[in-house]
Amino acid sequence: MISVNNLIKDYIDDGSTTRALTGVSFEIEHGEFVAIMGPSGSGKSTLLHILSFLDRPTDGTYTIFGKSINDLSDNELARVRNKQMGFVFQAFNLLGRSSVYENVELPLLYSTVPASKRKHLIEGAINAVDLNEKIKIEAGKLSGGQKQRVAIARALVNEPDLLFADEPTGNLDSKSGAQVMEILKKLNDSGKTIILVTHETYTASYAGRILHMQDGSIDRDEFVPLERRTKRDLFK
Amino acid sequence: MKLKDSIRTALRGLTHAKVRSLLTMLGIVIGIASVIVLMSIGKSAERLILNQVQSIGSNLVFIVPGATKGSRFASPPSVQGVIIKTLIKTDLEALRREPTVERAAPEVRGQAKIVFENNDTTVTYTGTSEEFFTIRNFEVKRGNPFTNSDVDSFNRVALLGPEIARTLFGERDPINKTIRLKGISFRVVGVLEEKGLGPFGVDQDNLVIIPISIAQKQLLGINYYNVITVQASDSYNVEFTQSRVTAILRQNHRITDPSKDDFTIRTQEDALAILGNITSILKIFLTSIAFISLIVGGIGIMNIMLVSVVERTKEIGLRKAVGATNRDILQQFLIEAILLTVTGGIVGIFIGSLVDVLAYLVLVNVLTSGWVFALPLSALTLAVTVATATGIIFGIYPARKASLKNPIDSLRYE
Repeated sequence: MISVNNLIKDYIDDGSTTRALTGVSFEIEHGEFVAIMGPSGSGKSTLLHILSFLDRPTDGTYTIFGKSINDLSDNELARVRNKQMGFVFQAFNLLGRSSVYENVELPLLYSTVPASKRKHLIEGAINAVDLNEKIKIEAGKLSGGQKQRVAIARALVNEPDLLFADEPTGNLDSKSGAQVMEILKKLNDSGKTIILVTHETYTASYAGRILHMQDGSIDRDEFVPLERRTKRDLFK
Repeated sequence: MKLKDSIRTALRGLTHAKVRSLLTMLGIVIGIASVIVLMSIGKSAERLILNQVQSIGSNLVFIVPGATKGSRFASPPSVQGVIIKTLIKTDLEALRREPTVERAAPEVRGQAKIVFENNDTTVTYTGTSEEFFTIRNFEVKRGNPFTNSDVDSFNRVALLGPEIARTLFGERDPINKTIRLKGISFRVVGVLEEKGLGPFGVDQDNLVIIPISIAQKQLLGINYYNVITVQASDSYNVEFTQSRVTAILRQNHRITDPSKDDFTIRTQEDALAILGNITSILKIFLTSIAFISLIVGGIGIMNIMLVSVVERTKEIGLRKAVGATNRDILQQFLIEAILLTVTGGIVGIFIGSLVDVLAYLVLVNVLTSGWVFALPLSALTLAVTVATATGIIFGIYPARKASLKNPIDSLRYE
């Protein structure tokens, strides 16, 4: 599904070049739950941004759904992001003055889904994160955990194949964090591919595979055996 | 993104910052209201002037003694107070024989004290012939106009303008009463209908009209005319009559070289051209003021939109992350700017129209009863067009700035 080969990313700032990715290669199959871990500055967020089509690599190839990022225009990247990818951010990134419903509707505004089918999709996504009662509430008035669940509903509403999560539990208490991870786990069980960036071991423990990053490259590609996954006790 | 969704999104964006949206709109409201009010006042002034010029009669050709050098807008010397005696009875008779001339009336003017019992005032009197009333659209409200037999018989009869009748007689009936003009007794035979101001602010109600024979011989002691007014026959156009009148006068005055003309001919078209020049300048001036205020409003919109783009950087990043293209973002911010200006424009049209009605009510009572109400459709169309254009022109820069933002930097923006 995802094939990354010798991916390089340079940032140029005031004439000096910083290499954030130094030649990363790996493959991810459909239905995997992959955590990208590493200390701050290891390049994990840069990798996630390229994987999620928000940024382009300086060199190397990245193919997803059979399409190479290098062959796609900015508008085509936007279309793929809209149709086949969902995003969950550490800071939720909700429209605080808009309702839960309106926030979840957002990706549909940029899709080809006809208006008549939207309501059904939005309510389904909100139902999946168990926020039906808050549907008309302004997103800014929700608790942190509820906000992240709205963000997950927004990521789900377009029924994407792939979900990206950037430190999804970073701003949450452990209980809310566990709830969010449970939802992501459930989504993975239902067949969605999930790629998340985290520096927290317990968040990564939900994943079936952990890419450990160090200084812009993959230090270790760890497959987590089933019995070691989902240490739910940690959150209870 | 569909246009309907863009409009809905833009509306949400604007209603989430209601006070700011309203204050931003205020600049456009004032700008558009100014356009409406000032254009309407300009139009009203134009109509007022047209009505005033038409009120003096139709198809008129004015002949005044003395040549005019320079443009058609220059005033002849006789108007400036120089006494020129070249326009005389033989000219009038020749003009009355001319087939393109329907009728012609001579005029002499003077100022004198007019007295009735204990009331007196100074008045401008006009000595003329019977044709004058028809040519110059003077209706007689009470009594009758004098006739050419009164003129020929040197009868001392007078018609009073409604204003002068009120001044001298109050509520009493002036008909058949005797007034004294420059010490000479006249019998009042008629009172004229109210006519209001003529072109260039000439008062058409504060006058006394007497037979030209008496005016020339007994009041002024002259045998020439100050003006001959000719009404062109309906069967000929005014320009043709004007050329015929010129030819007759040249022949009468034995002039072969047109540069040595000793008379000046003016038509209502000339008066309209002079006044049209004045109203054009007035309209340009008023419209400029209105457009300056619109530009100020537009810059206000651009300013607020730029601030809004910075404030909503994270939102822009998010929208791009979930699939918005540069065009979607451009469209959203542009529609916000257009919605602001168009809504401001509609409110401005409403307020401008209201002020226009109030201005009419004030001006018609305070300035002149001849003031006409005007709310030109062109002003309304222009207002809507300009409001939309302002939104596009001043909204495109912030919208483009928003659309070109990098999603990653935008999402990280604090």
